[in-house]
Amino acid sequence: MVLLALLTAALSGFAALGGSEESVISDQVKFQASRRIVPEHGYRIHEISRGDGTLIKEYVSFEGKVFGVSWNGPTLPDLSQLLGSSFVEFQNSLQRKAGRRKAAVVHNSDLVVESTGHTRAFRGRAYLSSMLPDGVTQAVVQ
Amino acid sequence: MRRGITATVVVLIVVLMVVSLAACGDGNSSGSNETSSAPPPVNNTQPVIVDAGPVVNGQAIGNEDLLFTSVTICVPGTTTCQTIDHMAVDTGSTGVRILASQLSLTLANSMNASGQPIANCVQYADNSYQWGPVAKADIKMAGEVASSVPIQIVGPANFPAAPNDCTAGGTPAETVSDLGANGILGVGLFRQDCGAACASVTLPPAVYYSCPASGCIITSVSVAEQLQNPVWMFPQDNNGLLIMLPQVAPGGAASVSGSMIFGIGTQSDNALNGAQAQAVDGFGNFTTTFNGTKYSSSFIDSGSNGLFFLDAITTGIPNCSRPETGFYCPNSTVNLTAINSGPNPNARTATISTNVAFSVANAAVLFNSSNSAFNDIGGSNPGAFDWGLPFFFGRGVFIGIESQSTPAGAGPYWAY
Repeated sequence: MVLLALLTAALSGFAALGGSEESVISDQVKFQASRRIVPEHGYRIHEISRGDGTLIKEYVSFEGKVFGVSWNGPTLPDLSQLLGSSFVEFQNSLQRKAGRRKAAVVHNSDLVVESTGHTRAFRGRAYLSSMLPDGVTQAVVQ
Repeated sequence: MRRGITATVVVLIVVLMVVSLAACGDGNSSGSNETSSAPPPVNNTQPVIVDAGPVVNGQAIGNEDLLFTSVTICVPGTTTCQTIDHMAVDTGSTGVRILASQLSLTLANSMNASGQPIANCVQYADNSYQWGPVAKADIKMAGEVASSVPIQIVGPANFPAAPNDCTAGGTPAETVSDLGANGILGVGLFRQDCGAACASVTLPPAVYYSCPASGCIITSVSVAEQLQNPVWMFPQDNNGLLIMLPQVAPGGAASVSGSMIFGIGTQSDNALNGAQAQAVDGFGNFTTTFNGTKYSSSFIDSGSNGLFFLDAITTGIPNCSRPETGFYCPNSTVNLTAINSGPNPNARTATISTNVAFSVANAAVLFNSSNSAFNDIGGSNPGAFDWGLPFFFGRGVFIGIESQSTPAGAGPYWAY
């Protein structure tokens, strides 16, 4: 049971937006998550599949930096880890008000976060405009 | 002004009670076609209201487009009960969640096989969460009773704090002020909040926890012990529900009263009539087509306080400025049409499509009024449509619960 809990807790520890590609690989090895790399023009995608069917994609430049992340599936990934050092800006940019329930959409000058969906179906993406590789648009982060 | 709103609500509740009693009589007289083995028909009509929300420190919170009802919860098998008002009616989630601060009943924690308390964590797309133990209670609405339903008690003081896997750096929605309600009545498309994924003993998601003294850890919980949609646990009228709200005039209304009717095609008051059923996918989503583009992750959610769709660049509708970012603020009301579509639950190779006309007004102007119910609040939801509470005004919306048989086929589906 303890081992199971450790594995489960650790599974959320994937690499962060703005971080390095090495952390994606080491996390995947350590946590035995299913991962594959999809090469694209000007970047590559690490696809990490969680046991519950949630698919997390990390968009990595040829310089080895995670410039975008996306998620899709029944559970919300830990955004504090997935967004890394951008998480505080994301939280601070949300305009919270009692009783309001809607998507969390942050469109700042560099950081963009779009978190939508409902229980059992979450979907979202985040990217740093300043880190998009040459010739790659934000539209690829899906 | 606040006092005036409260007085209006009291009058409306009295009117609702009268209407509810009348509906009860109709229901009783119309069930003569039930077989002798079926339980006798009961009142299946629960009043619902969109208003300014629960009162905190003498003032209504001032919500916009939140649908409420009162739910009676009881210690299982007893008449020790409490009625909790202003429970948010949420078709976008499943399960009853009651703020511990509003609960005076003492309910026993659910325990796992090792004798440890079970806790539940629900996370929302805006990175808010609710944490607390699971307990069983009888749930009563209208004349319906669901027995020993696992529910969540949100944020009790005498329980371990939410672990990091639950908070994920997010914001708790565990007080009346933060939630804008005394709890959530999750009556969505599914029977459980999580289902098979959380019953899996290998790497269950961060939804259920066992809480020994050493700290709470993620665990698997059988489907039967998970939070349940109370409607499917009713002995009758348990295949779905119908939410009926009247239309709202431009500019909104101080409050809007309607009905939540349990069952689909089980009594004279919940026949589908002409409503077209559209099945959803395994996530509870369907396709909305807008300006010729298909958005396949769209959904209907009474717990969303507006029509949230796409973004300002795609729609050409300007965003509001702070503090109402995330909402649309057109100079004048924009009238639009979209098409919702999904498989016919009775013949899944056939696609059922329905045109939906909707309007988007200036949200900042609407929020500045003293009204609480609006049919034209809009905002962004990139890449999909989130048909929130305004979708429910002026139409009856049926929710077919997963695997439950109805005249239109088995759920999960929407029909309207």
